[in-house]
Amino acid sequence: MATISLTFFGKRLKNPVMNASGTLGYSNEIESLWGVETLGAYVTKGLSLRPHHGNPTPRVWDERSGMINSIGLQNVGIERFFDEHFPFFQKKRTPVIVNFFGFTEEEYLDCARRIKPDRLIVALEMNLSCPNIKAGGISFGKDPQTVYEIVKKVKGITPIPVLAKLTPEVKNIVDIARAAYEAGIDGLTLINTMPAAIVDIKRKRVPIKGGFSGPALKPIALRAVYECSKAVPVPIIGVGGIMDADDAVSFLMAGASAVQVGSATFVDPYAIPKIIEGIGRYADKNGCRNLHEIIGITHE
Amino acid sequence: MDDIEARVVDNRNIVSNYFLLRLKLAKPMGIVRPGQFVMLKVPDKNIFLRRPFSIFDYGRDIVTIMYRVVGKGTEALCKAGKNEKTLVLGPLGNGFTITKRDVCVVITGGIGVAGVHLLIKTLKHDASIFYGCSSKEELAVIKDIMERNPAIATLDGSRGFQGDVVTLFRNQMKTFKGKNIEIFTCGPEGMVKNIRKQIEKWKTPCQVLVEERMACGFGLCFGCVVKTIDEKEPYKRACKEGPVFDLWQLSL
Repeated sequence: MATISLTFFGKRLKNPVMNASGTLGYSNEIESLWGVETLGAYVTKGLSLRPHHGNPTPRVWDERSGMINSIGLQNVGIERFFDEHFPFFQKKRTPVIVNFFGFTEEEYLDCARRIKPDRLIVALEMNLSCPNIKAGGISFGKDPQTVYEIVKKVKGITPIPVLAKLTPEVKNIVDIARAAYEAGIDGLTLINTMPAAIVDIKRKRVPIKGGFSGPALKPIALRAVYECSKAVPVPIIGVGGIMDADDAVSFLMAGASAVQVGSATFVDPYAIPKIIEGIGRYADKNGCRNLHEIIGITHE
Repeated sequence: MDDIEARVVDNRNIVSNYFLLRLKLAKPMGIVRPGQFVMLKVPDKNIFLRRPFSIFDYGRDIVTIMYRVVGKGTEALCKAGKNEKTLVLGPLGNGFTITKRDVCVVITGGIGVAGVHLLIKTLKHDASIFYGCSSKEELAVIKDIMERNPAIATLDGSRGFQGDVVTLFRNQMKTFKGKNIEIFTCGPEGMVKNIRKQIEKWKTPCQVLVEERMACGFGLCFGCVVKTIDEKEPYKRACKEGPVFDLWQLSL
């Protein structure tokens, strides 16, 4: 039997599959179907220093090969998350990756500062797709210099390993990955949703602008993982359009050490446990003893 | 709640763009309360997300859904034929809370009846029903509740009161004077706002079943929120905290 467990930033994860941030509630929402302890790690909803109300509806829209969301980062804030939801993961002994964001550099820093190390916290995941209010609303993640500076500062104030979640809407994602690496980032999450819009031809309107996710994103995300994992020597979590175990395996082969599953859960709420099982089956069938035998194999 | 395989028993056009879909589940769904819903896999590969539908009726592994064709999801759904395979995730959400009242007043219109049909069945004869639609042809939609003598409003006046259902309700409000009543409603936002205007003075208890676009159906994504008067956290999930809300908590 192959083992699909892995060590990630010194913590043991039972498998390489996580939920993508914001696609599995705050904590126990999935519990009537399967338990969060099934996951390699649980990734929190994007958290900020202060609570955010989020956007008016419509917030979600169906598209042929995926979906658009415009939730607007609704969240209860870092403090309430740790008071009300974190104990659930402690009870379930489930490793947690804390996704966080800010609209100014100070907000990122204040937020990161509030998250105390815990044996269950594997890493912080910085959402760098947020608009930087002081830079006219352009997102932090678009400019290598801005990424370098904010990563450097966040790394300077927290002892917890830090992942940077990058937006694909950039000139060259490898340049962004390199800037984050030079600033001392511990790992990368590739990629965030792609900016997109819908046109309602009956009403002649754009009912929603937001982030596109789903199967159409997969080859774009694979390219980012493939190129960045060759360019920077830090672990990468692959995310974007993973619908089944074969998709997950392709990300591992492209160079990801772990994967995140998002919209697939809305199509099939059992997608994550099925993918975990499928990765194990793939490994067994192909005689790999552990995931290291396939991670980045396409680079050879 | 569970995700259950199902097959189409029949998918019948009732009138204009109203359809009644009956699905045979591979196993029973668990206790269904009026006002709850399911997330249905539309059997068409071009439809990515599931679609939320109120449980119109449920019994003996057969779940019935009434829907109106309004977009690409329902356009695809109305083409689903007998025996076609699908998936039903449910029952989901918090349904109506039924407390002892002198009179339960159900006000609905158009496809809104899909959300309150099971409630009407459960309330038996303690309910006073108001239904509004565009013309008498559309009354085919409420054929099985006609025996309950609903008060009917049609916009063209072809049956019952000519006008909208809330005006009809207002005209009959005096019959509820001095009685301990509760209103249950599901329908377009304009209708709900009008109901609110009529009962503002008395703050009559009123439960509203809301409709929203959804992605997950059980609290994962925060896609289907409705705005409430809670200042700390105004947006509540229709799928998880709802879909039934106290009218006086909603920010309309």
